[in-house]
Amino acid sequence: MSTYLDADTLLAIDVGTVNTRANLFDVVDGRYRLIATGRAPSTAGPPLLDVSEGVRMAIERVQTITGRTLVDESDLLIMPVTGRGAGVDLFVATGSAGPKARTVILGLMPGVSRQSAVRLADSTYLEVIETIDLLDQRKEEEKIDAIIAARPSLILIAGGTDGGAQNSMLQLVDLASVAVGQMPASQRPRIIYAGNRSLSATIGDRFDESFDMAQAPNVRPSLEVEDLARARLALGEAIAETRARKIRGYDELEQWSGGRLMLTADAFGRVIRYLSRIYDPDKGVLGVDLGASHTMVAAAFEGDLRMRVETELGLGESLPALLKRSNLSNVLRWMPRELGKGDLLDYIYNKSIAPATIPVDDLDLEIELALGRELIRVTMQEARTQWPKGKNLRSSWLLPLVEPIIASGAVLGRAPAAGYAALALLDALQPTGITTLVLDPYGLSPSLGAAAGSMPMLAVHVLESGSYVSLGTVVSPVGKVRIGRKVLTLRLEVERGSEDIAGEVKMGQLAVIPLRQGDHGKLTLRPERGIDVGFGGPGKAGALRVAGGAVGLIIDARGRPLEFSPDPSRQQEQNLKWLHDIGARK
Amino acid sequence: MTEIFIPAVTHVSTMTNIRRQRILPVPGTVLVRVNEKVQAADIVAETEIEPKHYYLDIARALGLSLREAARSIIPQKGDRVDAGDIIAGPVGLTRRTVRAPAEGHIVDIRQGRVLLEARGELYQLRAGFPGVIVASDGTQAVTVEATGALLQGVWGSGKQDYGVMRVIGDSPAARLQTDQLDANLRGAVLVAGICDHSAPLHQATELSVRGVILGGMSAELIPVARRLPYPILLIEGFGERPLNSMAFSLLVNNVGREVAVDAGTAWPQPGHRPEAIIPLPANRQVSLPEEVVALKVGRRVRILKPPYLGEVGVVKEMLKAAASYPNGVRARSAAIEIEGVGTTTIPLANLEILQ
Repeated sequence: MSTYLDADTLLAIDVGTVNTRANLFDVVDGRYRLIATGRAPSTAGPPLLDVSEGVRMAIERVQTITGRTLVDESDLLIMPVTGRGAGVDLFVATGSAGPKARTVILGLMPGVSRQSAVRLADSTYLEVIETIDLLDQRKEEEKIDAIIAARPSLILIAGGTDGGAQNSMLQLVDLASVAVGQMPASQRPRIIYAGNRSLSATIGDRFDESFDMAQAPNVRPSLEVEDLARARLALGEAIAETRARKIRGYDELEQWSGGRLMLTADAFGRVIRYLSRIYDPDKGVLGVDLGASHTMVAAAFEGDLRMRVETELGLGESLPALLKRSNLSNVLRWMPRELGKGDLLDYIYNKSIAPATIPVDDLDLEIELALGRELIRVTMQEARTQWPKGKNLRSSWLLPLVEPIIASGAVLGRAPAAGYAALALLDALQPTGITTLVLDPYGLSPSLGAAAGSMPMLAVHVLESGSYVSLGTVVSPVGKVRIGRKVLTLRLEVERGSEDIAGEVKMGQLAVIPLRQGDHGKLTLRPERGIDVGFGGPGKAGALRVAGGAVGLIIDARGRPLEFSPDPSRQQEQNLKWLHDIGARK
Repeated sequence: MTEIFIPAVTHVSTMTNIRRQRILPVPGTVLVRVNEKVQAADIVAETEIEPKHYYLDIARALGLSLREAARSIIPQKGDRVDAGDIIAGPVGLTRRTVRAPAEGHIVDIRQGRVLLEARGELYQLRAGFPGVIVASDGTQAVTVEATGALLQGVWGSGKQDYGVMRVIGDSPAARLQTDQLDANLRGAVLVAGICDHSAPLHQATELSVRGVILGGMSAELIPVARRLPYPILLIEGFGERPLNSMAFSLLVNNVGREVAVDAGTAWPQPGHRPEAIIPLPANRQVSLPEEVVALKVGRRVRILKPPYLGEVGVVKEMLKAAASYPNGVRARSAAIEIEGVGTTTIPLANLEILQ
């Protein structure tokens, strides 16, 4: 073992709906590094309904790559590391694969506790089927029927500030008790009470041992305070148990990890929150994960984490659900070539029945990236409704300053050129000011989050290593100027040798200045009057040290919000030009 | 531990053992016995779903305290009541009562309240195909078994039926068109390559067809397909997707036989796939099809993405290194021999086993 790190070798597993990943980390020169990553098809779905096979295949890939033995002849993980260097010191696991937990929410007041409970549900893998509150006009028996018809695997009850309303709360609890009492014993949901703490003992008495009831900290201890984080942990346990009942192998991962099996979303959020505490306090940190069964946005502002997990929006089986929240035209506007609405609809449904397939020609790649943009855009809009005041949609349509933006997901990570992923993120998120786009092609973030408690230095070391791909620093000037008018002048003084680069950028332009990954330079920006580049207001100039990336230094002066041509063919030409401008197409 | 790859398996089998579990959404009554022979339309189990409840507030209705209300309640938990039966009372000078608003059972009594469960909608589970009942838990699930041809699809419109199979057109890509549909097809299960208009589907309704099996269908027709009174089963997917050669051959060779079309139910079970079953007597012992099959040299596969979308081929080699594709994507791959095309490289993720 190294002298200052608690453990040397970490194996982290993430079980996704389509892919299972095994990531092996070890200490090299006193710093944690990703040594190898193995990917295998997930086996959480039919016919196996057992995550173990996918996990074994992913670990086998790592063993093949490294030549290192991690499991013994009985397929058991070797832990801790043996004298011969076999095995690992620490194992963590995260999972997002599995059925969504059908959920009924009972909240006291629609704008208060019920809203908090819905926010809590939106931040993890729950599918809210029914919500009931005190102002619900339905008769009590109709509410009972609604709860039964929802066939929930989880009932979340929230309401009452601590020491507040009691009778109304007990009425809701009784409603749940009566409804659940009518369900067959084998189909009864878990009930989580996250309301008025002064009722805890009474609530416990309302449910006998035939009910699966747990209590969590009040999500709304007072009118002014919302506390979702601690209740989320209780929900995480309930979701994990729901999955373990339907899919084999999770219990083995739980054992291997010594109880460190986490929901992927929770682990992802933990990393984003951690980074927000160590990076620029004036900016937030944004994480985006585009999965097969979900799209996730995690934003943190000085440790204040806001999660949004859209379990209905993913680039897999649930893809047709995108059309409930958006439409075909919104997807087609991201395409660099003509495609009929019927053809796009066919593609969406075919992808939903074969979610693991990958695009091998340009058209399919363009369609998947167009769908990815729209999934992220829709999720981002929902996510921003829950961001803190001053950062949310109500405060401004413009994305607040964030640094960095970390993105993951197979369609982005597998893109054949960095420019594809960069342009998709710029289109979907439309950042403002100065930020850095970082790609997590191996899906490491959940692993870092799950290990953060045991290996606090892991996230810092790995983020600073080359395992995350910096796509580049992005400057996105904001202001109302006609297309073609100058928005800023810039000078880039590259630190190692090259000549300085100076020039002007015009409104509507997407420019890339060569600055390779690992290179740095001093960037001086002089925006025109009315143009804000993030130096404290419109027209304010400044200089900063910037890092290069796989794309380079990107100046995205296309305007905020992006404007689309009413003529589809013009828009397709524009999209194609942007692909060339950003270096995705030669 | 050796590295293996387990893709999805689609069964296209001319003769196999078929065993399907039929499960009620909630416990109810199983109507068949083990070893009993059943026909496709036979009801094997039934239950009531989503019963309506009446939550009767006795204390409030009769103006009593909770304790008095509890004493005034006549039926016990579990009792059956008819509409109009007295649930509580009479009390007071006016001999007030609370009567049952509907026929049902008393399912809960607490705090001066009575919960009456009225009858729900009857939900009946059919065998789906002719076979023998081989297992039953007595309350919720039965297993039907038969021998025959099995053809699994990728999408179903959500119904089940059974009828004599007729093929429209003479190729796997033949379109389902209105001018091909005449009275001779009344009550049949139709097989065609592609459907891209709603008109033939509506005309098939006029002919009271029992089902339609297609290679591909325009996704725009999904809302129409779901409303039709018969099941639609897609073997390949959405769009211009002709039937694959194995499926077409299986269907053509069984024209005139009865086929059960299972295009899904309102209460799907995990792993349940839409399928067509052609019951056939087995003149030899046949086993159940394998559900978990590793990809290896010699396996027959279907390709799920362009440029060879829908083609059937055979694995010639599992490539050790990731291959590069025209758009720059790199992926673990296999060399696949496709009849009439030759050997080409396909990502493992874009393959499924046909067997």
